[in-house]
Amino acid sequence: MKTLCVSLLLAICSTASSAQDVTARLAGRVSPEVAALVQQLATSAAARGLPVDPLIQKAIEGSAKGVPADRVAIALRAVSGQLDAAAAALQQAGAAPDTDAIAAGAFALNAGLSDQDVTTLAQVSRPSSSVAATLRVASTLAAMGVPAAQTVALVTQVIEAGGSTAEVLALPADVMAGVSRGHGRGRDVTPAEAAAGLSRAAAARANAPGQTKPKPGKP
Amino acid sequence: MIDFHPQVKQLLDGELTLADLPPELRAEGEEALRLLAAVDREPVTFPALEARVLAELRRRQGRASSLWRRLVAPREVRLRVRPWTLVPALAMAAALVVLLSRPEPTPPTATVTVRFVLFAPEAQQVALAGTFNQWDQAATPLVRTGTPGVWAATLTLPAGQHEYAFVVDGARWVADPGAPAVDDGFGRRNSVLSL
Repeated sequence: MKTLCVSLLLAICSTASSAQDVTARLAGRVSPEVAALVQQLATSAAARGLPVDPLIQKAIEGSAKGVPADRVAIALRAVSGQLDAAAAALQQAGAAPDTDAIAAGAFALNAGLSDQDVTTLAQVSRPSSSVAATLRVASTLAAMGVPAAQTVALVTQVIEAGGSTAEVLALPADVMAGVSRGHGRGRDVTPAEAAAGLSRAAAARANAPGQTKPKPGKP
Repeated sequence: MIDFHPQVKQLLDGELTLADLPPELRAEGEEALRLLAAVDREPVTFPALEARVLAELRRRQGRASSLWRRLVAPREVRLRVRPWTLVPALAMAAALVVLLSRPEPTPPTATVTVRFVLFAPEAQQVALAGTFNQWDQAATPLVRTGTPGVWAATLTLPAGQHEYAFVVDGARWVADPGAPAVDDGFGRRNSVLSL
């Protein structure tokens, strides 16, 4: 009974504290109307174990850009939906998602990846590397213009070929370098083409003699 | 209650004898001694009450004390150990000691220095706003470089993913043409920086 009371008290204190934090961060930055909506969405998100920072950031961004409150509200609800979808996709992968991974998953969805893509990427992430980092790499590739399916395939191939975490993190820069090399040779190379070249290299590495494929683990 | 003369009281206390009393007090002294001798000096006892009190005490202490006695009573324990069975236990203990004594690695707070550049020859002022500065367009102004029309700012940012845009002349939000971009939810594009 005592434990229950203490837990309840801590939960109430924690919710009250996070509510105060949200209020403090929004003070003077957004309209009262937007602040009230963020407060409501953030309280609900925190109760479901979702990160609240993307909601706060989107509200501040909207106000800074002079976007009308009703448009900010639409964007906020979209972010809230992406956070929910990302959490579900990560759970589908068997992961115990942390708020960082959920935020990265929501960003990946906004960048054009699907729920299934997020699930697949979480599944191929090795325990040694962070799911959030893998999702950030994939969303950056998608934001560069690499098609979602190709993005997932490239990241998966590099991880399964035994690529280190640093190699995975360097993929966007590698794609950019491939595009630049194309320009240097006087021909246009799209990010998709550059990514395809990296995929072929990863496949060749995976099939090289003596190469042992690491088993992807659940994060 | 009889109020005796102080000297008679001394007699009763045994401090004086009857002979020590002045003649006029001797009669009073004798009377006092007579009364004292008549007092019943047998101790007063209440055997039934005593028995009841002791029985109640035994009843209250009985259960707890017997349990406690059972718990604390010394017992002889015989232990036979086969030496080889100790090896896994010792190995586990050693592993536990090593694990617990190993200091928790503190993840370094990685920061990366980034140079933002925008070519905006017509601009009077350019600023940088993003998730790293709470979208505050007054926080990070770009400065003109030596090359005409080129504005730049150098920032040290924490590793992670950041969204940003340039703000030209305090009103026009422009995505970085040299960086990937995503929909900002308001009909524009935000540039993406992954560190």
